[in-house]
Amino acid sequence: MYEIWLAMNIVWEIALGFWPLLALGAAAWLVLLVLAWRQPAAHWRRAWPVAAGVAAAAALIGFLIVPTTTRSSLQELAYWVDWANLASIALGIGVAALAFAWPASVLWRRSIINR
Amino acid sequence: MNENRTPSAVDPNRRRWLQVLAAAPVLAGAAAAPVPARAAVKTSTRIVIAGSGLGGIAVANRLARMLDGARITIIDRKEEHNYQPGYTLVATGVWPVEKVQDRNADYQPAGVEWVKDMVAGFDPSANTVVTAGGQRIPYDFLVVAVGVQLDYAQIEGMDVGAIGTDKAPGLTSVYPGPQAAQATWAAMQAFTAKGGNAVMTLPATPLKCAGAPLKMSFMLRDRLFKAGTLGSSKISFQSALGNVFGVKVVNDNVLERWKALGIDVEFSRRLTAIDIGARRATFMSPEGEKQEMPYDFIHVVPPMRAPDAVKNSDLAWKEGPFAAGGWLEVDKGTLQHRRFPNVFGIGDINGTPRGKTAATVKKSAPLVAHNLVEVIAGRKADEAFDGYTSCPLITREGSAMLIEFDYEGRLTPSLPMIEPLNDSFFAWLMKYRMLKPAYMAVLKGRV
Repeated sequence: MYEIWLAMNIVWEIALGFWPLLALGAAAWLVLLVLAWRQPAAHWRRAWPVAAGVAAAAALIGFLIVPTTTRSSLQELAYWVDWANLASIALGIGVAALAFAWPASVLWRRSIINR
Repeated sequence: MNENRTPSAVDPNRRRWLQVLAAAPVLAGAAAAPVPARAAVKTSTRIVIAGSGLGGIAVANRLARMLDGARITIIDRKEEHNYQPGYTLVATGVWPVEKVQDRNADYQPAGVEWVKDMVAGFDPSANTVVTAGGQRIPYDFLVVAVGVQLDYAQIEGMDVGAIGTDKAPGLTSVYPGPQAAQATWAAMQAFTAKGGNAVMTLPATPLKCAGAPLKMSFMLRDRLFKAGTLGSSKISFQSALGNVFGVKVVNDNVLERWKALGIDVEFSRRLTAIDIGARRATFMSPEGEKQEMPYDFIHVVPPMRAPDAVKNSDLAWKEGPFAAGGWLEVDKGTLQHRRFPNVFGIGDINGTPRGKTAATVKKSAPLVAHNLVEVIAGRKADEAFDGYTSCPLITREGSAMLIEFDYEGRLTPSLPMIEPLNDSFFAWLMKYRMLKPAYMAVLKGRV
């Protein structure tokens, strides 16, 4: 329980360092979400494959570059805890990308239909 | 798809999005909220906290929430707050110096009085703290958090102010502060460009962050390797002890690594003098035999002891292994003073078997605050500290070992899957990215 509380606080403190950027991102996400919801025929299910593809690509890129952005490298991944940790971070990046890509994909599909 | 749906016909996907949206601020806010606490204890007691480092401010923040009506005073002249665990990252070129510099005022709880003066003495019989400016500040309860004294004066010829100047080429030390850490990096860059003879030192006293001298050695070797000058260089580690780290299994592991990396180690050699102009260091063996070593680069780790205010007071140990350093005489479990029950100690000043790190404060600050509140409420201090401490031991840029241990020197990883003696990306990431946020949460009294 303590470790969970500690981890939450670490995330919170890291977020505090980027709060203007995060606030901007959250606002952009809300706008995107509202725009997608207001579509008369929002094809969420059909938009999923594209969004999932974008999310998977983002996760893969994250997996490959996160070690470098922390002044380490993939060569330093020594045992399964390293791999699991990096995979979790990549998953987080993927989920964040999905949150944007899904409504964006809904809007994109709609704009194609309207053409 | 039906374009004329009523609100009740909203598809499940949309409903799930709304639920996530509604829950997000709650989850985010949970970490920002104060620690879930019991009702504050009503009291008008006077509490003095001597020192405003991590320990002092963390306890102040906790007490401010746990007590209702207490008059809390922090005494410390220092206005800058330094993230000391980051010094080795600054000194090895991983972090810019700005990452370890902050303002104390930003972290002190509201309603606490801050006396901007140094503690000059303690008179525990009279429940009074004396400041350098001559103020006598009475207390009902005292928390001693004054840290350590870096005793460079024990090294003849040492000039801390000369670190990073032309007056003392190759002279480095990570301990004095951010500027010295920055100057150490400049000197390390100059040295690794050409290579040469590097001397790393370790004194025989208890140390703040005992892993720092080892990290500096590992990183110097890594920087030489990356600069391509390792072949024309020699690193020699001079320990005043019979080991390089107090936990045997870690000590053995490090020595094995150093053997493979070509870092020489000599034991029982104490740095006693240094000629910073001629670049010669003098070491002494326990038998009194002197030996001079020339250097192109030297990392000086000063002997450490309690600040004079504690060392010369009744609060210091009078006998036993902690008496020579004048460390605070606390019970190693409750961290309550053994002779003055209204006094507690937190952090580096404590005369306890191990643990002069931020990680020690992380685990002991909640305990000290709890035990102090118990005593204020007329009960006994009932929580015991196990001596937890932690050392993310950098082995090269990008990799580290996450070593956690207790008073007994037993390895106590927080997460059971962590292999303390494996150097890994995960441990590096902790040191590089996560431990400062954890430190900030401790400082604010949340974890």
